[in-house]
Amino acid sequence: MKTLLRPLAAAVMSVALVGGLAAGASAQDNPKSYKIGAILAMSGKANWYGKVMSQAIEQAVDEINAAGGIDGVPLEAVIEDHKSGVAKEGVAAMNRLIDLHDVQAVLTSFSPPTLAIAPIADEKGIFLLNGGGVSSALIGASKYLFHNRSLASDLGRAAATRAHELGAKRMAQLAWKSDAGESVIKAVEPYWTGTLGGEIVATESMEVGATNIDTQMAKIRASKPDVLGLWLFSPDPGLAIKRAREFGMKMPIIGIEYNDQIAKLAGKYAAGYEYTSDYFTPAEGGWAKKFADGYEKRYGEQPEFYAANYYEGTYVIAELMRRAKAKGIPIKGDKLAELLRENPVFDSVYGGKMTFQDNGVAKKRVALFKVDDAGKGVFQHYIEVK
Amino acid sequence: MDLFLQLFFNGLTNGSYYALLGVGFGLIFATTKIVHFAYGPIFACAAYAAWWAASLGVPLPLAGVFAVAVAAVLGVASFLVIYRPIQVRGAPGLVALIASLGLFILLENLLGIVFGAGNKVIENVNYDVFFLGPVFFTSIHLWQIASLAILGGALFLFLRYTRFGKAIVAMTDNREMAEIIGIDTTRMAIAVFAIGSALSAVPAVLILLKDGATTHMGFQAVFMAFVTVVVGGIGSIRGAVVGGFALGLVQSLGLWKIPTEWQSSIAFVVLFLILVARPQGLFGASRL
Amino acid sequence: MEYLLHIAVMVCLYSILATSFNLLIGFAGLFALSQAAFYGLGAYTTAILLVDVGLPFPLPLIASAVVGAGVGTLLALPALRIVGDYLVVVTLAFQIILVEVAMNWTGLTGGTDGISGVPNYQVFGLSLDSPTSFLPVALLVAALCFWIAWRLATSPFGRSLRAMRENESAAVSVGKNVVAMKLVVFAFSAGLAAVAGSLFARYFNYVGADSFLIEETIYILAMVILGGAGNLVGSVLGAAILVILPELLKFIALPVDIADKSRLVLYGLVMVAILIYRPQGLLGERKTQARTRASSGPGGGEAAAVPLRASAGAAARGRTIEGRGLAKQFGGIVAISSLDIRLEPGTITGLIGPNGAGKTTAFNLLTGFLKPTGGEVLLDGSSTGALKPYELARAGVARSFQDLRLFTKMTVLENVLVALPGQVGDSVFSVYFRPAAVRRDEAANVRRAREVLAFVGLEEQLHETAENLSYAEEKLLVVARLLATGADVLLFDEPLSGLDGATLQEIFPVMRRLAESGKTVCIIEHNLDVIKELCSVVYYLDEGHAMAVGRPEELMADPELAERYFR
Repeated sequence: MKTLLRPLAAAVMSVALVGGLAAGASAQDNPKSYKIGAILAMSGKANWYGKVMSQAIEQAVDEINAAGGIDGVPLEAVIEDHKSGVAKEGVAAMNRLIDLHDVQAVLTSFSPPTLAIAPIADEKGIFLLNGGGVSSALIGASKYLFHNRSLASDLGRAAATRAHELGAKRMAQLAWKSDAGESVIKAVEPYWTGTLGGEIVATESMEVGATNIDTQMAKIRASKPDVLGLWLFSPDPGLAIKRAREFGMKMPIIGIEYNDQIAKLAGKYAAGYEYTSDYFTPAEGGWAKKFADGYEKRYGEQPEFYAANYYEGTYVIAELMRRAKAKGIPIKGDKLAELLRENPVFDSVYGGKMTFQDNGVAKKRVALFKVDDAGKGVFQHYIEVK
Repeated sequence: MDLFLQLFFNGLTNGSYYALLGVGFGLIFATTKIVHFAYGPIFACAAYAAWWAASLGVPLPLAGVFAVAVAAVLGVASFLVIYRPIQVRGAPGLVALIASLGLFILLENLLGIVFGAGNKVIENVNYDVFFLGPVFFTSIHLWQIASLAILGGALFLFLRYTRFGKAIVAMTDNREMAEIIGIDTTRMAIAVFAIGSALSAVPAVLILLKDGATTHMGFQAVFMAFVTVVVGGIGSIRGAVVGGFALGLVQSLGLWKIPTEWQSSIAFVVLFLILVARPQGLFGASRL
Repeated sequence: MEYLLHIAVMVCLYSILATSFNLLIGFAGLFALSQAAFYGLGAYTTAILLVDVGLPFPLPLIASAVVGAGVGTLLALPALRIVGDYLVVVTLAFQIILVEVAMNWTGLTGGTDGISGVPNYQVFGLSLDSPTSFLPVALLVAALCFWIAWRLATSPFGRSLRAMRENESAAVSVGKNVVAMKLVVFAFSAGLAAVAGSLFARYFNYVGADSFLIEETIYILAMVILGGAGNLVGSVLGAAILVILPELLKFIALPVDIADKSRLVLYGLVMVAILIYRPQGLLGERKTQARTRASSGPGGGEAAAVPLRASAGAAARGRTIEGRGLAKQFGGIVAISSLDIRLEPGTITGLIGPNGAGKTTAFNLLTGFLKPTGGEVLLDGSSTGALKPYELARAGVARSFQDLRLFTKMTVLENVLVALPGQVGDSVFSVYFRPAAVRRDEAANVRRAREVLAFVGLEEQLHETAENLSYAEEKLLVVARLLATGADVLLFDEPLSGLDGATLQEIFPVMRRLAESGKTVCIIEHNLDVIKELCSVVYYLDEGHAMAVGRPEELMADPELAERYFR
């Protein structure tokens, strides 16, 4: 009996402990701070994303607080983990954010956890802003869900446009076996074969984070494409570029993402890689430069696309909170969403303004970049998708 | 046909990678009856150790030696600190397996804490790229095959012809009998953990050079090692080699006509069918 | 508060998964690695039926359970032909294939996007859309599932499962249809996991393949082992710990960039520490003493009236088993060639011969454990060729094993109980729908088992675990188990070797009484004194056939045999 009681007692105690902490944390009517939640990939396969996103959020919060917070009330970020895209972890995190931290706005990432928390957001009226997940399935998942990132499908179509400019006819595509990769295939295929009159000669899939893609490359090479589309995300385009070039493939390679991680993996083969992206180079000056400098000072590395989106997202939420205070409405998620729809224009760290469309997606200009011999992405021109 | 040849060659290189992993994992499994899942993160630790040493300016071969040492030490430590106390208490094999999963989680995340997120790549490694007719390969691919031939062969000779090796084989066959005839099974187990883990460091370093290292690279490695061993027959180096090649070739050639979206299950579909047709497994267990 | 209730819901889900998995691993000893696949199967079934078809409650839940159980059985059919470690690979393969199919069959499963918008439960117009409102349902279903698993595990059927886990061939030798048992337990385990999946779909309103990966199977496995394999309460405890522990660790404040990884490190550390400290899991396998003791209390007068001899043999029908021209080859090696052997009721036949002469092979052929490559076995004149070993055991031909093959982790009483023929509680239908009949039958069986044990002199050790017995006691238990089958033809493979003279003197009368009661007894024995003492006919086997047959004295007087064997 003793053996049975001991773990039982431990369990009871732990529940009591959780209960006590929960009670303590939620007792705040007149807050000392406003809390923003973030549900990111803080552990697991994709923890690199969690790292850059959380770093950028913290930077934004510190900047906002240094400038006086939300009308004198400081902002606070609570970072939660969805273990690299596990739906149930996202739900647990969401419940924790709402219950223990009384959070009204949450920065989310990755499709499965975002899809799983969308119903909770609807029910509790929590404002959601996604700057990472790119699946088309996310659109309209919740009436309080917004995206400050171009959908991968738009980037993919822009990349196809560029391939067409280059005079390519036979496209091979290598995509992530995930909602993100597949949404690009779904968008590009009809556009390429229909509007642009091209031909798809190979469609290969790779596991997210797979290291061995020799089979895919062999099949792509055998299909004799004149352009290779990489519908992959960090860091996998790096490996794909390297392997394609090693395999002796000389055709243009075009993708939808590029950053330090990719550059490192691709090494010398990165030169000549072209990609479409909605991230402007900080060299343009202004807010982008200020952000990039601050980020580099804090973390010792260049910020990239994902950091920028979550940095920007934090500012969007802060701005909405300010608007609510100015109007004297309580800071509640559903009210924040209403305020956003009322006036969907915000400053963008990408330069100028961005506008949230009716479907909740912020429209940003898509540009073409080309990697130079030093491994840097160089702005070429904007791309208009036909 | 060109594609077939290329895929065949890919299958061979992947197969030798799986086989070497399987040989190390299988040696530990057969001798100690421990399903050492933490073999995966130790494999990853070896890759990170090599990366760390290389980034400090240590020449690559020395970094490789360092990786081997790290893996061996971690392997032995996991046996002494975790598995042995559990075995001494007479727990069934499943318990050691779950403990090794705990160790798996621990090590993988520890790596993430110490080295941070993201891929680790040794920059400016140059290796040769060859074209043999339609078939492409790099010197790393050749090293993958060579490392299996050299290390697998050496282990084979060691187990067959040295006193120590024979004692290990005796323990693989029958642990109790080995104890009765005076073999120090604890010492053997330590040796086996050292050798098996050290073996895993070699493919780890090659993968680091070829594709870079990540904290989660261990799962796939130990998973394939496990399947290789079970396919090939437990307690048999030859079996692990055959199992590794079978797996590598099926995975590669299987995708000749089938879309790559089925990559991770193709080998398992074939395995499934084979095992349903031949329930006793592909190859029976044999000595060595 | 919702957060706590959410954790409680998760504990409910994982309790179902862990207890159902424990049925397979802890009770049946089947190491299958596909629990998360069945979990996912249930989730997808419910999601598809709700979103695409719009079936009303409770049809999707039932459909999930049925699909899970059905696919579980389908998987088990080929998988169960597979021995040992290969079951791991086949089920692992199934797990991976199923996830891949879910990812790629976009039309049905939504592919990598999964299925969103699964409707909540509606109870009297109330939508169960929060942890608070969902928890009662989760608790109810979890309790029901636990009851189903518990009922199965603690029934005579569950006892047979454990016997199969301990030693499959021994379970067969006492008449258990292990294939049917495996199918049933697979169906139950998979069906219950699918029910958990159905709850998942209803609770999360979203089903994606990422939630049912091999990692999830491993997570559930960890719960089972941590709580204690073979203990269902342990599984619930294991589920609670592995769900709650990470949440507790969230309250340790750590720097953001390493916080969640550090928590996982601690999580791994705690797991390892628990297992080093308690390798058998937090709760060990439960002994069934209390129940059997209670049922053997007052009221057992009826059984006492039945003399042991009756239960152990007076009903013997006097059966003859005969092998004609038996031959058995393994590859190129001839183990048995043209063996003629005839065992008569009421006699004790001895089988002697040097090692490797084929004595045990002869037993294996007579009991159907091996199929002869030539010749046939006749029971009362009709061929047994079509009967499987367990059917032959039920038909009254039972054997023991030279290496004992006791159910070592079970008690002495259970070892005997499991062998009793015609148990009502071996039928799963009766377990759930005729509980009173099962209880009555069980009480009677306990009395019979105790008589058998009293008969061989093991009544003092009733509740001792078999592995704790002395060697002589183990031998006695083998005899008791064989007697308990109620078979008329009893084949003992070296039942007396290694016993001292005093013990032998106790067993001899037992053997003789068996023969006197009309049983057909055959023993393999090396000790010629024993043969002389007991046997009326002796077969001398060498090189796979009977070189001589006769009374013991006759054979021992044969100069040629004396030269070859008796010296």
